[in-house]
Amino acid sequence: MAKKSKARRRVAASQNRQSSATPQRWRQKMLIGMTLLVLAIALGVGIRYWQQSRIPPRLQGAIENHYTRGVAGAPVVVKEFSDYT
Amino acid sequence: MEQALQRFEGQVQLVYYPFVLNPTSDVATQAALCAGEQGKFWEFHHMLYARQATWRLLSDPLPRLMEFANDLQLDTTALTRCVKSGRMRQLLEADKAYGRSLQVQSTPTLFINSQRVVGAQSEADLVRTIRRELARAQQQTQ
Repeated sequence: MAKKSKARRRVAASQNRQSSATPQRWRQKMLIGMTLLVLAIALGVGIRYWQQSRIPPRLQGAIENHYTRGVAGAPVVVKEFSDYT
Repeated sequence: MEQALQRFEGQVQLVYYPFVLNPTSDVATQAALCAGEQGKFWEFHHMLYARQATWRLLSDPLPRLMEFANDLQLDTTALTRCVKSGRMRQLLEADKAYGRSLQVQSTPTLFINSQRVVGAQSEADLVRTIRRELARAQQQTQ
């Protein structure tokens, strides 16, 4: 009888360990997943910001040999990229 | 854009960059640039928009475009030769590359000074953005 209850206790303890280990593993996986997601988003935002920061210098000039309207040297320059269709 | 340009005459310069998205438009844009060689780029440009429905779905729009050229009293033989030579293609490619370097992905895309405006805009929106840029330019000069 005593033997049987000992065995039962062992089984119950191992089940307990397993059941508490499962959510912990999930939490770990979630944490890693979330960290990777945040890193990916941060990287995307960083690249986008870097690309955007390079646009204003590229907007300077590049007017020669293009069809223009209005006065040269106007305070506002509108660069229009368009397609006829 | 036309009305906005007229409203801010002397304060705004418009620079046109073709950003060709398909072969039909490619031919039309080359024709416009070739019309420019005969001094009628803007006239041809406006005509392409005004009569867009009559040519934009054609697989070979050149004959129709020559009708427009004829209406504008352009030398259609020289224009056809110019388009067929493909000598304007290099300019189109350079402008497309420039657009890509500015992350232009769709048309129309405007840069009003450094403010990017994507998609068709109402005149009121354009006027508002131009006013804001004019105010900013004035602040910088003071």
